[in-house]
Amino acid sequence: MRIFRGTPVSPGIAEGNVYLYQAFSCDVFESYVPEGREQEAFQAYQAAVHTADAELVAIIHSFAETDADKAKIFSAHREILDDEEIADEIRTAILDESKSADFAVDSVFTAFATLLSKAGDALIAARAADIRDVRNRVVRILHGEAEKNLSRLGAPAIVVAHDLLPSDTATLDKKNVLAIITEVGGTTSHSAILARSYGIPAILGVPEATNALPDGAYAAVDAITGEVYLEPDESSLQLLHQKRDAFAEDMQDASRYLAAEGRLADGTRIEIGLNIGSANDAGALRNCDFIGLFRTEFLYMQTDFLPDEEDQFEAYRRVLADAAGKPVTLRTLDIGGDKTLPGLSMPHEENPFLGNRALRLCLTHRDLFYTQLRAALRASVYGNLWLMFPMVGTLDDIRAAKEAVGEAQRQLESRGIPYDPKVRVGIMIEIPSIAIIADRAAQECDFASVGTNDLCQYLHAADRMNPQTEAYYQSFSPAMFRTLKLIFEAFAAAGKPVSVCGELAGNPQAAPALAGLGLRKFSMNASAVASVKRALSHFTLEQCRTIADQVCRQDTEADVKALLSNPFPI
Amino acid sequence: MFAKTTTLKNASGLHARPASEFVAQAKLFESRVCLRNLDKPDAAPINAKSIVRVLAEGIPTGTKMEISAEGADEREAVEKLIALVESGIGEG
Repeated sequence: MRIFRGTPVSPGIAEGNVYLYQAFSCDVFESYVPEGREQEAFQAYQAAVHTADAELVAIIHSFAETDADKAKIFSAHREILDDEEIADEIRTAILDESKSADFAVDSVFTAFATLLSKAGDALIAARAADIRDVRNRVVRILHGEAEKNLSRLGAPAIVVAHDLLPSDTATLDKKNVLAIITEVGGTTSHSAILARSYGIPAILGVPEATNALPDGAYAAVDAITGEVYLEPDESSLQLLHQKRDAFAEDMQDASRYLAAEGRLADGTRIEIGLNIGSANDAGALRNCDFIGLFRTEFLYMQTDFLPDEEDQFEAYRRVLADAAGKPVTLRTLDIGGDKTLPGLSMPHEENPFLGNRALRLCLTHRDLFYTQLRAALRASVYGNLWLMFPMVGTLDDIRAAKEAVGEAQRQLESRGIPYDPKVRVGIMIEIPSIAIIADRAAQECDFASVGTNDLCQYLHAADRMNPQTEAYYQSFSPAMFRTLKLIFEAFAAAGKPVSVCGELAGNPQAAPALAGLGLRKFSMNASAVASVKRALSHFTLEQCRTIADQVCRQDTEADVKALLSNPFPI
Repeated sequence: MFAKTTTLKNASGLHARPASEFVAQAKLFESRVCLRNLDKPDAAPINAKSIVRVLAEGIPTGTKMEISAEGADEREAVEKLIALVESGIGEG
């Protein structure tokens, strides 16, 4: 038995077989077939295309029931596979130029992908990624390798990888993933957030995990304290089973609070919201008052091409309709930083977290932005839409974003398509520059939601993805709470609602302090709802205010945490 | 050889879904089918049965296009495709 340690980012205990996930890397080298062997190479190519098509048909079939959108992507891939110009050029490359099958496939597909990526229209340029995807599939088959991805695991497994990109996890086979272990990342990595929202135990930042944990080996994961046991012995297993049972009991206890309204001990009403990352996650909404964060990136990451207005409209309409009148806070495209898009090629930035991302990216890629805004506005007639912009740093940003909304409205009007003119338009507060002038911001928007993950990162100048700066990324620092106080008070004074949708709102330990600072709207993952409601129910407003006041006077995060772990010592 | 012209109505141009439908229809015919962007002075006709060619051409909304065909069913091919474009290719 060997034990490895990492950062526990999503609690739970699991055991099972390791599935070592390594994305296929498909290098192809310039090579030619010896004279007389061209027919053979051509036949190998044709056989590979045949196999590729069969794979795609199987995938389409497996998604047909559950996810029509994903099925469509792979149908588009079949079209590309069947393209007669590509086929003609490959035929020429092999039979006339004696290129080897994989070299011919690579040359021709790459040439077309490049051609497409130069198209002026971003939506079309994005299709280059589809062509590359099909090329990878055919080359992989020519190289004799089996398909490997996380969307169909076949059997329950503990997924071990170097890293899981948003595009990997967007198609994750939730049912079969027992736990997630990666070599890099931390509490606020995308994969951590995803693991928490799905209730999958996860430990990130386990160095050497892909070397140390062999594919198929038996392992146990303690994602409460952060240990991975390779081939656990009997006594360790026994302890883990006890821990697992205690954890399940605690979750059971918390669940008593699940269906209740959010209230403090004295009855003060606290609205509890849900953060969702897809159109399918809103099941837990019956225990919540609103959707405080509807992340829209999934629409852009599940596929290799950019979603068009129709795709987006459908997804947004569904969520709004299912919410049956409860507010749905739709956040416009928030990519950059650790979230890149397979469908959009973006120039390399040294410092993506400080770069052209989210709203800034949308303002430089107007067609992308207007498409999303039109889709959202069209959907607004089906429910209670609150539109929210990420990465707002100045009033200029707010004004530019609102202008874009106006333009999208005009575009719809000219097509005779209705939208709700009373849609609320608000901002994420995550950049300190807007937090400090929250009073001015509150005059120019209808509401705000605090993204504490990025706010903490920018405030503390600590990369939330870098295990080496984990100690500096302090979400419980006195500075964080004072900043939050500033924001909450500014919005209260302006009579505008403010919520927190960052991970801090889902942390029961922070709940009384946040309520005491004036927060009345907490939005979080489904898995946090019960424990936050439970935590809030233990304190009166008076007590919350006392806690908040004391927290703001502490010197260090450690002092704050000590205070919060025992706020009213007997 | 038979040819006719029409104007593309689809708001986002001949991309993704409309392009797929257009190409799928073109493939139903035996004749060689071509598409030409008349708003671009030197544009050459492109193979309307190739999805990647059609996408790479990047035809925006409002473009005047010529659909031409050469072969046994050339008239039918052109008439059917013109009708498809004029109906808004599934987005009308």
